[in-house]
Formats: sequence, structure tokens, C-alpha cells
Amino acid sequence: MLVKTFTTPGNLELLLVKLIEEVKLTNKKLDSIITQNSPNQKQKTKKNHKNKSTSPLSPDVLSLLSLPAHLRKTVIALYKLEKATAEELSAETKRLRAVESASANQLTRMGYLKKKREGHKVYFYIEQKMEENK
Amino acid sequence: MTTKTLAFHSSRGGTGKTVIATNLATIWANKGLKIALLDLDFRAPSLAGAFSKAIKKQPKYWLNDFISGRCKIEQTLIDVSSTYRLKGKLYLGLANPSIEAIRSTMDKSRAWEVSAVKRLFSMRKTLFKEMNIDYIILDTSPGLQYSSINAVVSSDISIIVTTNDEVDLKGSENLIENLYLELDKKPVVLINKVLPETQLHTNKTEKELINKIENQLKSPIIAAILCYCDVLQAKRTSILAIEKPNHAFVKNLETIAKTLFLTNKLNFEE
Ligand SMILES: Nc1ncnc2c1ncn2[C@@H]1O[C@H](COP(=O)(O)OP(=O)(O)OP(=O)(O)O)[C@@H](O)[C@H]1O
Ligand SMILES: [Mg+2]
Repeated sequence: MLVKTFTTPGNLELLLVKLIEEVKLTNKKLDSIITQNSPNQKQKTKKNHKNKSTSPLSPDVLSLLSLPAHLRKTVIALYKLEKATAEELSAETKRLRAVESASANQLTRMGYLKKKREGHKVYFYIEQKMEENK
Repeated sequence: MTTKTLAFHSSRGGTGKTVIATNLATIWANKGLKIALLDLDFRAPSLAGAFSKAIKKQPKYWLNDFISGRCKIEQTLIDVSSTYRLKGKLYLGLANPSIEAIRSTMDKSRAWEVSAVKRLFSMRKTLFKEMNIDYIILDTSPGLQYSSINAVVSSDISIIVTTNDEVDLKGSENLIENLYLELDKKPVVLINKVLPETQLHTNKTEKELINKIENQLKSPIIAAILCYCDVLQAKRTSILAIEKPNHAFVKNLETIAKTLFLTNKLNFEE
């Protein structure tokens, strides 16, 4: 157990300081996640009111406007490419691969994109939904 | 030659998008180019009117059908080139004018709009790569309609048609700042229906007007066109570029057609 190895008072103090630091960091991360997700959270609840499905969010052109600016390019590139790796996104948007990877992963966490592995490659795409024929 | 997709858009209605898109398409097609002119104004379809002479029967498929995935883009296109004896090709894609179709465009889901914008992107591929179209021209509804923003997002250049009326300019400014720039799109602006009192024909005032609006909208102005009474009164079923090819309005659009064509070539050679 973690606590057992830190029984002396000096070590306990160290542990506390470490814990506080960890908590601060976690809080910071949570805050940024909450601010990133807040507009979508609203949409999600609204949507859930209408139909109970927990279907992912639709990154339509007007929803793009409520996303952070750096994420919009990735979505627009996916309108065109349909399905793409971070590498392919980067070729389309002329931004660094790492930027596209971070952006696409963030959009996936937010529920706008889906991600799937095919062999060695990871593809990002916008999920097709039943209701799209409406 | 590279290919381009142009969207005509505006903040308010009636600024001249349809008349300009129609005449520009005709001018280019008559220069020997292959043009697809598509009516994405699903709320108030109006391209059919201008080309009524060439449209003998109701099309089997509308653009609405294509966007909804019910047909291929080729199946919606009507070739009107021979009716007007054009040197090149002019294909029309029409929006369904029935009340039922218009009503149904108003209650689409967000998921549907996502698939709609994807269809527009895939349409570009088909038209350019398979049909060798030189330019796709999209006519849209004014303001923040989904179909218009989808068109703007999927096009290479958007041309905002505005009058120099204060309210209209304010609306265009708002559109550029809060929509175009947010989506990383840089539009060009066409000032239309400038009142003759502005004395546009004296170069000094034309420059002043253009500078003023360029500063306000922080976007390049491609041209300023006067308000011509006979254009205003002309039947909606006529195409000026065909009926009065020497009209000043047509001459203005010829210059614009040339500018766009040359910019396109320059971009390509870069
Ligand atoms: N330069 C001009 N001088 C005079 N009349 C013009 C000029 N440009 C357009 N018009 C006239 O203005 C009217 C509206 O034009 P048009 O239908 O092309 O506008 P629009 O922007 O497509 O409208 P909407 O937003 O309703 O689709 C038409 O009668 C057209 O002939
Ligand atoms: Mg119109």
C-alpha cells in the first residue's frame, strides 16, 4: 500500500504536498475539459430530451461555430475526406500531423468524431446516422 | 486549367445573386467552358425561371434528391447549351419548387445537414473529375440557411453580393465577421445595384465607393455594378447575356468573368 511506505512524519508531509499538487493538476485538467465540453453538454441534454438515444453529436456547419477555432479545420477536412488518418488530415489542412492528431482525438472525446483502427492505421470519421435521411 | 467552385451568397435577399450567377454561367459557357450552375436556394428556387425556354419538362430528379442521397448528381443535370447555342456546355441543377419540398428542407436534422455538406464535397469530385466541368456555380439563399453555409464551406470562393445600402452593408459585415472568418473563409464582395446618382462612371467616385466598402468589410471588392432600370424591369425568364450581350450589365459581368478566370490561372501556376 502506498500509505504504508510513507509512515514517517517527514514522508507524510512530502506525500501531502505531492497529493495537493496532483489534485491541483487534475482540477486544472478537469476545468479545461469542462469548458471545452460545455456547449455540447447542453446540446446533449437537449437532444436526449427529444429522443432517448445517446447518439454522438453532429458536427454540422452551424455547430462548428461553437467549437474552438482550431478544431473546425479538422471537421471541414473530414467533410471532404470522409475518413482519414492524422497524416491525411495534415496533408489536407497543411497543419502539423501532431496538431491534427490532437485535434481529431479531442473531437472524438467530445463525441463529434469516431475513431477506428484498421491494421496499423487509425482512422477518424463522422458517423453516419439513421436520422440523416430525415 | 484548375477548376473552381464559386458560391454566390448575401446577407439580405434580392441583391442580385441569381441574375449574376445566371449571366456569369452563360458568359463562361459561351466562351467554350463547361459550367454546372446549381440552385441551392431550396427555400425559394429560382433558376428554373431564367432558363424556362430550355426546360421542356420537369426534371426526373432535383438537387434535393441528390443531397438526400436518392440519385447521382449527373441525374439531376439538364444540358441547356443547345437551346442557347452556347460554344461550351451549361448544365443546370434545379431545386424542387413544390411546397412540400420547401417545407421539408426546413426541418432537417443536424445529422442530415452533415451528410448534405459531405454530398456537396463528393459532388465536386464527380463534376470535376468525371464530367470535366471547369466551374461549379452555386446560387444560394440569403442569410444563415444551412444550405447556404454548406455551399460556402464546400466552395473555393464565395462571392457576397451586396448593395451599398447601409443596412445591407452592415449585414454583410456581420456575415463576414461572424461566419466567414470564423470558418476560415475569405470572401470577395460584389457591390450591385449602385444608384446612378453615385456617378459610378466617373472613376474618382467609383474608387472612393470601393475603398470605403473595402475598409468596412475588410474584404476585396471584385466589382461595383450600377442599378439599371431595364435589368430591374426585365422579365425573369430572360437571360441578358444572351438577349442583350452588349448591355453594360453584361459587360460588367464579362470583366468579372475574366478576373476570376485569370486569378484562377494564377493560383494554379503558383
Ligand atoms: N444591377 C442591377 N440593376 C438593376 N436590377 C438588378 C440588378 N441586379 C439585379 N437586379 C434585379 O434585382 C432583382 C433581384 O435579383 P435576384 O433575384 O438576382 O436577387 P437574389 O439575390 O437572387 O434574390 P434572393 O435573395 O431572393 O434569391 C431582380 O429583378 C433583378 O433583375
Ligand atoms: Mg436568388
